[in-house]
Amino acid sequence: MNAHGATGGAVPHEGRLLRSLLVDALVGARFFPIWIATGVLMLVAAIIAPAALQSTSWAFVLPYMTVLAIAALGQMLVVMQAGIDLSTPGVMFLGGYLIVGVGNHSNGRLGIAILACLGVGVLVGLINGILVGILQLNPLIVTLAVGEIVVAEGLRYANGLAEAEVPSRLASFAQNRPFTISAVFWAGAAITLAVALLLRYTAPGRRFQAVGANPRAAWMAGIHVRAHVVFAYTAAGTLYALAAVLLAGVRVSIDPAFGASYLLAPIAAVVIAGASLSGGLASAISTWVAALALTLLNQMLLIRGLSAGMQFVVFGAAIIVGMLISGDRIASLLGRLLRPRASPTRVAPALDQDMS
Amino acid sequence: MHVPKLSEGRRWRLGLGLTLLAVALVAVAAALGGTSRTTSAASPQASSKSGAYGEVYRANPKILKKALFNAKLLPPRGMARNIALAAYGRASKKVNFNLALKCWKNDGCKTGTGGKLTVAYVEPFGENVFRHISKMEFILQALTYKSIGKIIYRSAHSDLNRALSDFRAMIAQRVDAIVTYPDFADAELPVFKEAARAHIPVTTYAWGYVSGPGKNYTTVVGENVCKLGRAYAKIMNKFVKSGDIAFLGGFPGNPLSAGWQKCEKPALNKRIHVVASEPTNWDASKVQQVVSGILAAHPNIKGWSYEYGLGMAQGAFAAYRAAGKPFNAVLTLRTDDVGMGCAAKRLHNPKLKVYYYTAGNSQIRVALTAAMMKLKGAKIPPKLVFPIQLQNEAKRTQCVKGYPTEASATSLVPLKLLHRMYP
Repeated sequence: MNAHGATGGAVPHEGRLLRSLLVDALVGARFFPIWIATGVLMLVAAIIAPAALQSTSWAFVLPYMTVLAIAALGQMLVVMQAGIDLSTPGVMFLGGYLIVGVGNHSNGRLGIAILACLGVGVLVGLINGILVGILQLNPLIVTLAVGEIVVAEGLRYANGLAEAEVPSRLASFAQNRPFTISAVFWAGAAITLAVALLLRYTAPGRRFQAVGANPRAAWMAGIHVRAHVVFAYTAAGTLYALAAVLLAGVRVSIDPAFGASYLLAPIAAVVIAGASLSGGLASAISTWVAALALTLLNQMLLIRGLSAGMQFVVFGAAIIVGMLISGDRIASLLGRLLRPRASPTRVAPALDQDMS
Repeated sequence: MHVPKLSEGRRWRLGLGLTLLAVALVAVAAALGGTSRTTSAASPQASSKSGAYGEVYRANPKILKKALFNAKLLPPRGMARNIALAAYGRASKKVNFNLALKCWKNDGCKTGTGGKLTVAYVEPFGENVFRHISKMEFILQALTYKSIGKIIYRSAHSDLNRALSDFRAMIAQRVDAIVTYPDFADAELPVFKEAARAHIPVTTYAWGYVSGPGKNYTTVVGENVCKLGRAYAKIMNKFVKSGDIAFLGGFPGNPLSAGWQKCEKPALNKRIHVVASEPTNWDASKVQQVVSGILAAHPNIKGWSYEYGLGMAQGAFAAYRAAGKPFNAVLTLRTDDVGMGCAAKRLHNPKLKVYYYTAGNSQIRVALTAAMMKLKGAKIPPKLVFPIQLQNEAKRTQCVKGYPTEASATSLVPLKLLHRMYP
């Protein structure tokens, strides 16, 4: 027997092709269920709450799903490195108020206000990254604590602000509707596409994915694993700040609850999209679709007239079902099914040869 | 004439008897005196038409007009009216603005009067400008009392467990009075009862109703929310006449929203249908979500009833704008917010009709004065109810120059101080 197979000949080309297709299917399968689920959701909405698919509803859904998607992209980068980040609401809260405070109603100061917001995102992300990536602290606890500190700082900063409106140019941008769709949606789509292309088609992006998929192998290959973890949190913080900018434009004014609903929703979107919380591959586009599904579901329940309590119940149940049929679990199942079964009585090849 | 001298023994017995009599008299006096919290032991002060319990039942008509739109909108009679007059009367007193500002920024302070009393304003949620201004109103009112030596403020940032813990901390510190707005309604009842057992007067404002006013806590101050709902219904009946309207509320189950919604619905005429009733947590983005959902399901909606004017301006106007629809609707609101008035003005839409009541920041002054009078032995009614008169935005605009967007022009915080609070 030689390395090519039991008969000593090469594995047929068709076999290699089939194996390659199966591997691609396995990898792609983890991200497929959310597309199917979103399609089913739209079908259900068309039957039980058709108003959810009308333009009035989309006018709300599209901008808000974009904000959730951008925040979820940041969370996705962290989850790919087997981490988690609970500082999202804090960054968005302080970032939002910085846009108001630094902007001070002046369109001329909008640029610097946005930079200040992004700066906070970068700084908080960097701190999280150092604490988790370098000092190896538990990300759940650390990012929660950092988030609380950021919220406290936001409250202190907000206390001195009576006016809560963003500069009018930001609000005008958010109200623009190129091709009858919110400009916020287009901005978010561009960001998502950029993240997807960077991860998939650039060397640094592939290295980032490799580190998440197998940190030990990546380390042995000479990749700086900790630097990638720090980068993940820093990039995540930047994306949360971007989400805050977009949300501030949509909302026009900031209030004490700004960003509060973005604690668990981005994590839910990432997991439902097929990423594994233990790290590894993820899809920016599928995360985007998951954000759409969650926002549309919320809107649908509201339009359907369910009580507030029932809305929470249905929403929670949908997330559980989404996780049960998530791509991560399906990929795991497929992997187990496709793994060749080892025979318990199989002897070593050398002995086999001798015996024949 | 010869007067026989007392023998030494008799002198000693006489002295002992007098000493014992004096001790007995002091003991009886001490037993009858008691603490300031035990109202039954405090001897009631003579009340007169002009005042009692350390208060004067007289207020400047200009102050009443500013806070209530109309001096007639005081509680109509009895002790409730006297307490309100006393509270608004104190609003004219000069206080140290620098100290008030310091107290406001630092969540409390010593007043420097040497007073022995400590008063606390404790609330589950304090992070919007309405609450900031109420906090300042509380501080300004407290600074008119020389007997108050310390002011404490706590906010639990919408966390129920923390709110309960803050309350308990005040009880443990044995503060003399607590004023609060119970955002979590009866979920806060246990701590109210603990305060009652500790004989600490607890008062609420803006109709922060928790079960058992008068028993579980001293009093609730505010408008009769059922009458508020009926006032809303009257406006809807007059201007909507027939069609769909919707109710928006605050946190699920909060007493204010539940109160007026319960009474507005049956008072509407039969051709008006309430197609939705949704909580918004008084969060403008939630308002936007809710309004866009309701608008999608019911595009011809003609009216909205809600408490929070600014939330409506920020959230609902944005929803209509995003949907590309003009805001042709009747709004009935509780709070008078400058931002709402200015936003409505900017729309230049004659088909938008806005009716509002007062935000009621100054009601916290009445709540504190009620607690202070309770400490002096007054019998406080379990409810201090203000009559309602909705104002028409078209005739009396909320958009008052010089005020911050989120502020209310019916607040009694002087404009100069507001500008220092928000430079």
